[in-house]
Amino acid sequence: MSLLAISEQALNGLIISTLYALTALGLSIIFGVLRIVNFAHGEIYMLGGYVYFCAASILGLPPLVAVLSAAAVLMAAGAVIERGLIRPVHQGKVDRPDEYAIMITFALSVFLLNLANSVFGPWPQRPAPLFRGRIEIGELIVSGDRLAAAGAGILLIVATVLVLRYTWMGKAVRAISQDRGAAEIFGVDVSRYSMLAFGIGTALAAAAGALIGPVFNVTPVMGVIPVIKAYIIVVLGGLGSIPGAIVGALILGQVESFATVLIPDTSRALAYKDAYGLVVLVLILLFRPQGLFGKRERRA
Amino acid sequence: MSTLFGHRAFLPCIALLAAFAALPVLGLPDYWIYTTTIGFYYAILTASWSLLVGFVGRISFAQTAMAGLGAYSAVLLSQHLGLSILGGMIAGVVIAALVGLAIGWLTLRLHGAYLGLTTIAFAEILRITITAEHGVTKGSLGLQAPALIPDGTRSDYYYLFLAVTVACLLAMALLLRSRVGLFFQAIREDEDGAASLGVRVTLWKTLAFAISSAFAGLAGGLYAHFIQLITPSMMSLQEMGFVLAMAVIGGFHNILFAALGGVGLQFLLEVLREMGEWRLVVFGAVAIVMLRFAPNGVFGLLASVFPSKRNKS
Repeated sequence: MSLLAISEQALNGLIISTLYALTALGLSIIFGVLRIVNFAHGEIYMLGGYVYFCAASILGLPPLVAVLSAAAVLMAAGAVIERGLIRPVHQGKVDRPDEYAIMITFALSVFLLNLANSVFGPWPQRPAPLFRGRIEIGELIVSGDRLAAAGAGILLIVATVLVLRYTWMGKAVRAISQDRGAAEIFGVDVSRYSMLAFGIGTALAAAAGALIGPVFNVTPVMGVIPVIKAYIIVVLGGLGSIPGAIVGALILGQVESFATVLIPDTSRALAYKDAYGLVVLVLILLFRPQGLFGKRERRA
Repeated sequence: MSTLFGHRAFLPCIALLAAFAALPVLGLPDYWIYTTTIGFYYAILTASWSLLVGFVGRISFAQTAMAGLGAYSAVLLSQHLGLSILGGMIAGVVIAALVGLAIGWLTLRLHGAYLGLTTIAFAEILRITITAEHGVTKGSLGLQAPALIPDGTRSDYYYLFLAVTVACLLAMALLLRSRVGLFFQAIREDEDGAASLGVRVTLWKTLAFAISSAFAGLAGGLYAHFIQLITPSMMSLQEMGFVLAMAVIGGFHNILFAALGGVGLQFLLEVLREMGEWRLVVFGAVAIVMLRFAPNGVFGLLASVFPSKRNKS
């Protein structure tokens, strides 16, 4: 492989990692506040792609507005999901809440995937690009929509981190993720912020799906692989840890690109591409279940 | 918690078995016999998954992967080692059980979402490996398997699958009615409490995975030699989601209810064929509503309408 090919590969990897990080950040916020893993996160990401497709290609809205509408629509959907399906976990209305939360979000993912399959069909849809044209960096040529997607992704990550760090809302969210009971005593409306956190988490996944939609086409199964990457990332970084999610994304990107280079048989290396991260996931869960940045937690 | 074959449930069970045995004799068309036979495959899968999740409280998303492992092992081993079809299937069950044992042992310390994620990872690694190694497995084109019953009619397979399903359900019911069943439920309710009372938590948690996987492997091996073409899509997470929906809708806290959910939904899927993919949407929605409002499933609801006929949960 030439240097040019390698740097092209690396840049593409970096661009995709940004969007994985965005998806993972959403997963991490949801876990931090609600202590559940949303197994339907990939389908929220996929629906983000479809809302973008409807807004940009069918209604003809400008791409930026279409991305924002994808985030807004799925934020509302996330709030409804939290209200209707997740809240009973925290109100003691279900037997064995951990098991219930896992099973209901997994069932939700089956429902949403088949819903998209029924409404839009299994074939890929190509939404209007975010940004036309190509950008040349020396000899390196990158398509504009990839770069725009990554740029918007970084912007969203930075904005989310700033909101979590400096606003009252962000502080409330972080307080709940540290100690639900104590936050409530200090006057944080826990159930309102749980709904909000779930909504923000789904909005971030939806934005990632909307940004990547024009690059790779939109299909009902588009969320399956990215969400598995997001699981790996949050487990790598420690579930619920925000810096962990970002560092985890960078580590996963490197693991995947290096593992692909290390196997001499290229077609085989590509076929196993999605398995490397999974092996990393299994190893981390077995040897350091709390992740790199996570606090030790025996039950979740 | 009601298990199968409490003495009050004995008569309904016999009636149910008689009804299933009578279906082909009563002139059920070949196509529906075929559909119901596939339903029995799902019945074994949903029952074995419920054994693990509903009774031991160990979440696994690797059940269809175990069925796939059983299927691929059965076909490949009989191809390469010259085993008979039956020998291959037994080998498939053993391999599924051993891999289940390994997963159960490796994930002993993990709970809830962490356990779910690890089993998803195992299932996907297995599926990716089988898809990638097309030199051995023919990848996504699928692997051909010889027929289990040469010149067998549809109803031959139907009765064979019915017999194996009943045998599997009986075995699971006996296991759950023995002391082991109590150990399982004690682990599900309170692991530390169970350990302090002398239940060997580590042993039973590991074995539960192996037992559940062995049944899935058996279902997979049977399925392979019935369908005669297996593809990695039988191990996809989508398929796992489908098994989950079947078990939840039937009622995953009861082995028989879960199994009935498997056969029933497979049958309904074919009846509702003109709805297209919408029927899967409906099943997903029903599964969500059941989980939220009626965790004992459709048959659990029915049983509570006729409380004198079945054990109350």
